[in-house]
Amino acid sequence: MIKVENLVGGYTNTPIIKGLDFEIEKGEFFALLGPNGSGKTTLFKLITGQLPSQKGDILISGKSISSLSKLEKAKKVAVLTQEVNVSFDYTVEEIISLGRFPHQKGILKTLSKSDKQVIENVMEMTKTKEYRHTQFRMISGGEKQRVLLAKVLAQQPEILLLDEPTNHLDIKHTFQMLDLLKEWQQSKGLTIFAILHDLNVASLYADRIALLHKGTFLEVGDVDTLRKEEQLKKVYEVDVRTQSHPTIPKPQLLMTPNYATSSEIINFPDFFHIEKNSECIHVQFERPLRTISNGVIGEGIQWLKHFCNFHVEKHYNGSDPKKDLQNWMNKYEIPSEQAVGMMTAVNLEDLVIAKKQIEGVQLMVVVTAGTGNAIDISNGVLSESNAQVGTINTMVFVNAHFTDGALVNGFMSATEAKVKALQDLNIKDPETNTLATGTSTDALLLAVTQQGEKTSYSGSGTIVGKAIGQTVYKATQEALQKYFIRLQKRC
Amino acid sequence: MLSGGFVLCTTLLGLLVSSVTIPVPTILNITVVNTFNIIADNTINHIVTTPIYLDWLNDVPRNEEMIIWNIRLPRVLLALCVGASLALAGAAFQGLLRNPLADPYTIGVSSGAALGAVFVLFFQVTIVGLGSYTLPVVAIISGFITLGVVFGLVRLSSRSMAIETIILAGIIVSAFIGSIISLIISLGDRDSMTQIIYWLYGSVGMRGWSHVQLMIPFMLFGSFILLIHYRELNALALGEEAADHIGVNVKRAKIYILIGASLLTGAAVAVSGSIGFVGLVIPHLVRIVTGPNHRHVLPLSMLVGGAFLILADLVARTIIAPKELPIGVITALIGAPVFAALLVRERVGRGKGID
Repeated sequence: MIKVENLVGGYTNTPIIKGLDFEIEKGEFFALLGPNGSGKTTLFKLITGQLPSQKGDILISGKSISSLSKLEKAKKVAVLTQEVNVSFDYTVEEIISLGRFPHQKGILKTLSKSDKQVIENVMEMTKTKEYRHTQFRMISGGEKQRVLLAKVLAQQPEILLLDEPTNHLDIKHTFQMLDLLKEWQQSKGLTIFAILHDLNVASLYADRIALLHKGTFLEVGDVDTLRKEEQLKKVYEVDVRTQSHPTIPKPQLLMTPNYATSSEIINFPDFFHIEKNSECIHVQFERPLRTISNGVIGEGIQWLKHFCNFHVEKHYNGSDPKKDLQNWMNKYEIPSEQAVGMMTAVNLEDLVIAKKQIEGVQLMVVVTAGTGNAIDISNGVLSESNAQVGTINTMVFVNAHFTDGALVNGFMSATEAKVKALQDLNIKDPETNTLATGTSTDALLLAVTQQGEKTSYSGSGTIVGKAIGQTVYKATQEALQKYFIRLQKRC
Repeated sequence: MLSGGFVLCTTLLGLLVSSVTIPVPTILNITVVNTFNIIADNTINHIVTTPIYLDWLNDVPRNEEMIIWNIRLPRVLLALCVGASLALAGAAFQGLLRNPLADPYTIGVSSGAALGAVFVLFFQVTIVGLGSYTLPVVAIISGFITLGVVFGLVRLSSRSMAIETIILAGIIVSAFIGSIISLIISLGDRDSMTQIIYWLYGSVGMRGWSHVQLMIPFMLFGSFILLIHYRELNALALGEEAADHIGVNVKRAKIYILIGASLLTGAAVAVSGSIGFVGLVIPHLVRIVTGPNHRHVLPLSMLVGGAFLILADLVARTIIAPKELPIGVITALIGAPVFAALLVRERVGRGKGID
């Protein structure tokens, strides 16, 4: 659709764009990325034809852009830039009607029936109909941009060129606008070439991206090109980390600021305090810890400060345990968005807190345990058994600096230790009568302070891994013994 | 429609009201018959053997016919043409410069044209081949040159063609030209001095048919150019860049519009002196009623501008009768306060637009 051949151009004799070759397919959303001064706007102006090229050519559907008349070009290509100022009190509808300019025919060049139909349709699509008779300058910035988009769509272009169209917009209007464009792209085969300044937005909406650096393309490719952290660092000179979007398979970038966040080292025992009663165990830290957990609240890897284990009735069968936990946390004034929440039917008096220092590794393990629902994961079929008192909830806090990989390692280490503790106590799955590996609802969290030297391993072959394993093993056994004593007393 | 009626009524009123009162039917009779006779003279009477004339004027006194046909009608028609031209030129300048405060007067075209006209009048110059059209042609050209100077000045001072800069440059150039005109006047004798000063104030009196003839070709041509560019003027409201993106040949449109507006202004100034504020105020009033769409603003500005100037002329010649005020005084007396009001309204309007 658009083909750029050896394009050279700029404002003075020293070109800003230094020989670009690329092609944009029909129906493609192509995003141009790059820092300020990389030549994005110059390239854009070369393509819109506002700036004559010094060398090379730009072809639109096989025809050189310089051979097209203004009207011919406007029938094929529409341009949407950042907010424009409109003089006089034109109404929204009059502005949108201007999009029909290149299509108007006849001597009087009035709006024909089909022109009006197109205008009605785009107003419907862009939801601008409600203020069609309002003056353009009276509506808000987001609405203005939507009206200008409607004008551009009324032009019925095959190619849409966008220059940071969402620059002044809040996220609501940004996403509204890009969703609309995406819809149009997919339903009408519109080709979109856009300068976008937000890399994450580009990743979500573009089909292909190009990274412009000093007048040449450093990278061109699909959005996974954004996973090349080194290239991004080179272009933007910011520490960039790529992560995956949690729900769609697109990369998202996280930027690390240069200033250091509270580097003061805190002595581990002074780092936290624990509150406990018959309803709840609450471990609170001064600073957020890098946490991996499978708690009902606070799942995944996050930075969290509050770690809670709530007591529930034996036959608790809430339909929305997350909601219940949030309510309980509200009662204790714990911010649930900064917390891990677990629940157990085990009597909280039987909790075990183990604080250890093993070969320089400081850690604390908090365990509540019951084995009513003991299960051997490697054996038997899944059965809907009656809920018994019995869940092993383990919290592991380590004064160390882990990478995300090390966090997963440590999580494994803690799990292995728990399994071993169960087996050494000869706890069996009542269904299969084999050694149990856990209970049906075990919860585990591993939180690290991110102080000290960074390590990327904490498996069984490391000191930290060993320390975690040994402490968890001992604490779990101790908690289980307390649980058995309570069971015997009851009998 | 309404404005068409407005024009007709003011025309009639302009013909009716004066020191000698002549009844309306007589006026109509005189105009219709004479118009018919002239048209017939120029068309059918060339072909047919017995010329056709209407001779219903036998019962009309000769002096009444003289007053209406040779004095009042050309005067009213000239006011109509000048008012229409100035208002249309103003509307076009405002649209082109995206500046509601632009008009032939504020951006200096009027002064430039006036300089040309004064030059021709004072030195009695006649360009060979142009004859009596020397005056409007020189006025138009000097108006156009002035426009060029103003734009050149704006270009040099800021690349953005900022609204304020254009007005400022227009005022500076106007002031400069004003001083040159003063210089020319002061070189002359007392008689020609009063004559030129009076001319400068602007007037449509004591002109006759020759001036109407002088004016009309330029007016028709200029209006035609501007009226066919109404879509481009609308598109330019988005700014030149955005207009380019929807397929407007901005450069060409700009040149045509500037030529059209300069033709109108130059011709108007040549026949009537510099009459201010018509081009500024009329498009504004029209816009308040019809909205900014140039499809309506341009033709309506012509009609309303013409009617307005007929009324202004009426006031000018009746308010201190039997003496006459220069028409420029009347338009300025009305226009200046309106200009001020618009300035304030503009600021208030913009303030609301910012969010």
